[in-house]
Amino acid sequence: MFRLNLKISLRNLWKNKGYTFINIGGLGLGLASCIILLLYVSYEWGYDKQAPDFEKTYLVYNHQQTSAGIFSHPTTPGAFAAEVKQNIPGVYRAARFGYPKDGLITEGQSSFRKTGVYVDPDFLKIQGYHFISGSASSALAQVNAVILTRSLAKSIFAEEDPIGKTVTLDKKDALMVTGVIEDLQKNTSITFDYLLPWSLLEKQDPFFKNQSWNNNFCMTLVQLESTDLFTKADAQVRQLYNKHESDKVSEFTLYPIAKWHLYNNFENGKQVGGKITQVKIFLLLAFCILLIACVNFMNLSTARSEKRGKEVGIRKTIGASKKALISQFLLESLLMSVCGMLLAIVCIELSLPYFNRLLGTGLEVNYNDLRYWVLLIGLTLFTGIVSGSYPAFYLSSFEPVIVLKGIGKSSKSAISVRQILVVSQFVFAVCLMICSIVIYQQLNFIKNKPVGYQKDQLVEIQVQGNMLKNAGRLMLTKDKLLQSGAAKQVSFFSMSITDGGNNTFDVRWPGKSANDRTLFDFRSTGYDLVATLGAEMIDGREFSPKHADSTNIIINSAAAKAMGLKKPVGSIINWGGTNLEIIGLVKDIVIQSPYKKVDPMIIYYNLEEVNYILVRLDSKIPVNAALQKINAVMESIEPGFPPVVKFADDNFEAKFQNEKVLGTIANWFGGFSIFISCLGLFGLALYMAEHRKKEVGIRKVLGANPIQILTLLNKDFMRLVGIANLIAFPLAYLIIQHWLEGYSYRIELTLIPFFIALVLSVCIALLTISMQSIKAVRANTVDALKYE
Amino acid sequence: MITLKQIEKYYTLKGAKSYVLRHIDADIQKGEFVSIMGPSGAGKSTLLNIIGMLDEPTYGSYKFMDQELSSLSERKRIEIYRNHIGFVFQAYHLIDEMTVEENIEVPLHYKNISSSERKSRVADLLDRFQMVAKKDLFPHQLSGGQQQLVGIARALAPQPLLILADEPTGNLQSAQALQIMDLFRQLNKDEGITIVQVTHSEANAAYGNRILNLVDGVVTNNS
Repeated sequence: MFRLNLKISLRNLWKNKGYTFINIGGLGLGLASCIILLLYVSYEWGYDKQAPDFEKTYLVYNHQQTSAGIFSHPTTPGAFAAEVKQNIPGVYRAARFGYPKDGLITEGQSSFRKTGVYVDPDFLKIQGYHFISGSASSALAQVNAVILTRSLAKSIFAEEDPIGKTVTLDKKDALMVTGVIEDLQKNTSITFDYLLPWSLLEKQDPFFKNQSWNNNFCMTLVQLESTDLFTKADAQVRQLYNKHESDKVSEFTLYPIAKWHLYNNFENGKQVGGKITQVKIFLLLAFCILLIACVNFMNLSTARSEKRGKEVGIRKTIGASKKALISQFLLESLLMSVCGMLLAIVCIELSLPYFNRLLGTGLEVNYNDLRYWVLLIGLTLFTGIVSGSYPAFYLSSFEPVIVLKGIGKSSKSAISVRQILVVSQFVFAVCLMICSIVIYQQLNFIKNKPVGYQKDQLVEIQVQGNMLKNAGRLMLTKDKLLQSGAAKQVSFFSMSITDGGNNTFDVRWPGKSANDRTLFDFRSTGYDLVATLGAEMIDGREFSPKHADSTNIIINSAAAKAMGLKKPVGSIINWGGTNLEIIGLVKDIVIQSPYKKVDPMIIYYNLEEVNYILVRLDSKIPVNAALQKINAVMESIEPGFPPVVKFADDNFEAKFQNEKVLGTIANWFGGFSIFISCLGLFGLALYMAEHRKKEVGIRKVLGANPIQILTLLNKDFMRLVGIANLIAFPLAYLIIQHWLEGYSYRIELTLIPFFIALVLSVCIALLTISMQSIKAVRANTVDALKYE
Repeated sequence: MITLKQIEKYYTLKGAKSYVLRHIDADIQKGEFVSIMGPSGAGKSTLLNIIGMLDEPTYGSYKFMDQELSSLSERKRIEIYRNHIGFVFQAYHLIDEMTVEENIEVPLHYKNISSSERKSRVADLLDRFQMVAKKDLFPHQLSGGQQQLVGIARALAPQPLLILADEPTGNLQSAQALQIMDLFRQLNKDEGITIVQVTHSEANAAYGNRILNLVDGVVTNNS
């Protein structure tokens, strides 16, 4: 029986190629979308879970009291790791690690600009890196050691054995390669191309030997002997700060490293979601798209019931039980979903590289991994059964007497179920459409929100090599850049203009209350900062060679407001025990998150501390030519160091990665779901055109004009699309309003997205249906009536 | 074999009963060849469907091989007609996607008959109806008479005791119709298969040994 049924199913599919194509196409696209989204979800879910003992590994979070609430970040004092390892029972390992930093690795004539992280030796064991050569216990024992990832080792040494060879870091420190580890998975939070011992950092900059509990400059990983000890260990970690300091402003907690990536938002010291929300949305989206594809299949199968009805009737009269028929129809739908899955795999393989580029991910279907097979087979079965069950029960319930008499026109109830299905498909598609439009609007709004300076035509050049802490060389660079004609203005900054950085509580001003804990950002700069940035000076002046500015500062409006100074310029404040005079008040500059309020900032003059050269390009020169000139200048000043030049607006764009991913995915998969829905609509229209051929013929004979017939045929479908829009509007409103509420700077919802979605969905649907109805209208009347 | 007592069938339309069959009493013995005759709309097909258990009477008793059918479950009823009844339709009702051979074989699948037994029975039938050469053709590649032959072969495959034929020659030309009717007579005489046919052709009715005349749902003549 099974073989016969399979044969019949295949013949059926082959005979109705149009339906088969629509069905398999829809299912394939639905499955492909679903799998790609699931891959993305599992990729995000797998973040930081590569280490064998990741469950016992915790990141130390620091919750600091500030005037604006509790500020949570994973930065700790340097002394923290040693302290917990020694004094807290249950702590198996603890290690410091720094922020990833770019450095120039040189071997012979070849140099590579790559990212490195300074770590304690225990870090290697906690993270359980797989050593290709060298070992976790000895690789970082010496000060002048470096561990390379496999691909860096390969690009430096090609096929040679790197162990024992020497490379130099930033053309200063000679380091010996003591280990090579496997490349990191893309879904890890701590990424690098090479690892350096923490002791090297302390040697390079004695500041990092600092044992004070007030200075946070590294991150700390703690590994417990067992997860059961967490509560106790965490309680003790919470006491640590107060044990060393009396001001009670910080509290440390242990945070599972596996949660670092997805549950990364803290509000007032409490965990409040984060990227996980987005991941959950994608998970939901994955199944909705698959369901839409299943609905297509249901619609088409039941719409064709007239044809299949006869077969059901015959089979029943010759002895088929309902069960046998159900299994036959399920077999057919499973066959369809298997074909759909094959198509989906092809689509996935073709589109994954594109999505990986777009999302910056490393998604792949690993055919050697059993879990992927479970997923693929599970989804195939799920799709086959879900999409096949309703048609199977519906078709198998036909009464032979009725269908064999030939009056088995699809009953009323089946039509309404089909209508409900079409409406629900379109509700989903319209919702997605509205949401992606609003996401796009919000993204644009934030992007175009004034940031207090001119983002375009502004580049940042990283200060490297001998220029560091060398005011003379920096000034020379500035002069040369200006002479080259590429730059209109040049200044310096201690951090990237789009990055976070140093901050301090240690600012005093007249009238500061005793328990005021305002956090001030501080940055050092050179001359012409405001002019270079294109920022706005509210009062006073900026640093200039005409004045001696070593004890003068510029503050931003937020700082003026925080200090409550009526006339900031001219006021004297104290920072770290030094009295400083405010000489300028600049309008707020958004340096970190464009979603948040700007923090108070102090800017002072000190070329010893700058890390970036800011260049305002001369707009009269083409950008490429300007960049070439800049590169030439930088290479002449610091030969051997490839210049690192970045556009401020590119860096700024990078802050929207999350929203961009969301927007892109909503766009793509919204598009897919509309396309799949249209495939279904197309199939229904195909059926409708066939079904009403005779009616159209009669109407034409009776004198109806084509427009009237077209209207008649399209009317029913358009009503469904209209209803779908009406249902989708409030739904989309609730969803997107909820999403917008997560942003303190957000657009007001207008009618425009709803209007666009309405027009688009109606147009697309109209186009789809009309392709069929026009055919029905133009068909030869005689043929239509001769039929039967 | 079949005993119908006071069979009634009516539909209720807006409160008014519209009768299709009224007070039908009939006995059909094993080995009989009965023709149900009557004008269009007399209820012939409905009666046949009730006999074939495709439809249920609104009222009355129907005994098939001394079993009261209304007391049986759906599953049991399917069991009975799967084993004892074969249907032949005016429009042949072959499954379009199946070849001649497969069409004849399907009912045997539903009886869970072993593969070798199936093959031999199908081969016998093809042989007997001289359709061996056509076994791999699809229904639409055959003439109406040939399709009806396949329909009869399919009905015979499960070796039924009773064949119910609803206007079996209604769609056929007279020469082919003759052939089919001869076949029915032969099946009835040589193999003792009980046959009940619906027809409105006097000539076809003459093939049988008894005629049930049905007018407006009432048996007017049972001879």
